[in-house]
Amino acid sequence: MAELPFTNDIRMLRFLMCEMTQGELGDRVGVTRQTIAAIEQGKYSPSLEVAFRIAHVFNRPLEEVFRWRQEKD
Amino acid sequence: MSFREKTHWAAFLALAAAFGWYFLAYPWAMVSTDAGVAAVAAMLVPVTIIIIAVLAVTAAFFAIRAPKEAHLKEDERERSIHVRGTHLAYYPLVLGAWINMIAIFYRFSPGVYLNLLMATVVIAELVRVGSQLYYYRRGY
Repeated sequence: MAELPFTNDIRMLRFLMCEMTQGELGDRVGVTRQTIAAIEQGKYSPSLEVAFRIAHVFNRPLEEVFRWRQEKD
Repeated sequence: MSFREKTHWAAFLALAAAFGWYFLAYPWAMVSTDAGVAAVAAMLVPVTIIIIAVLAVTAAFFAIRAPKEAHLKEDERERSIHVRGTHLAYYPLVLGAWINMIAIFYRFSPGVYLNLLMATVVIAELVRVGSQLYYYRRGY
């Protein structure tokens, strides 16, 4: 499977938010726990709407949750 | 494993077992006779009942064990998995349709066409559910 061109800090942000579980984050975003796990592990690229919802839960701008990988020249 | 993935496993296993029995137990020696056509209808009844019963019982079982998960709406990842699975199932379906059309020129009996059509639908359905299970396991 091709590697996604961005990484994310969801796991760390969950930890900082009183060790929020993937299920709790999923409930607040409106997706399943498995979808949060897939996003966290870089297996699934979420829609812009879900990405914004995740950032909104953590009260962070989108670019602090998802980061574009440096392109290799 | 999510509720939908569990019900997909149940559907895949029920389909494989029920139609596996059908194609193994079908009296192929009489496929070209009227009795062969009647056998298709007679055997399809228990196969359909078994599949519906397995799906209903397993869905109820998993829903009772995890009611919250069962009531969750399908999210975007699951929707996209379903679309991918349906897309992949289109190919065996089209291939089966072409095989059936070509078979018409060889003037087989209705029993042969019925079984060919059924095999086409079963294979397409196994590809659909199987590929969805693969994507569920892979994460996407």
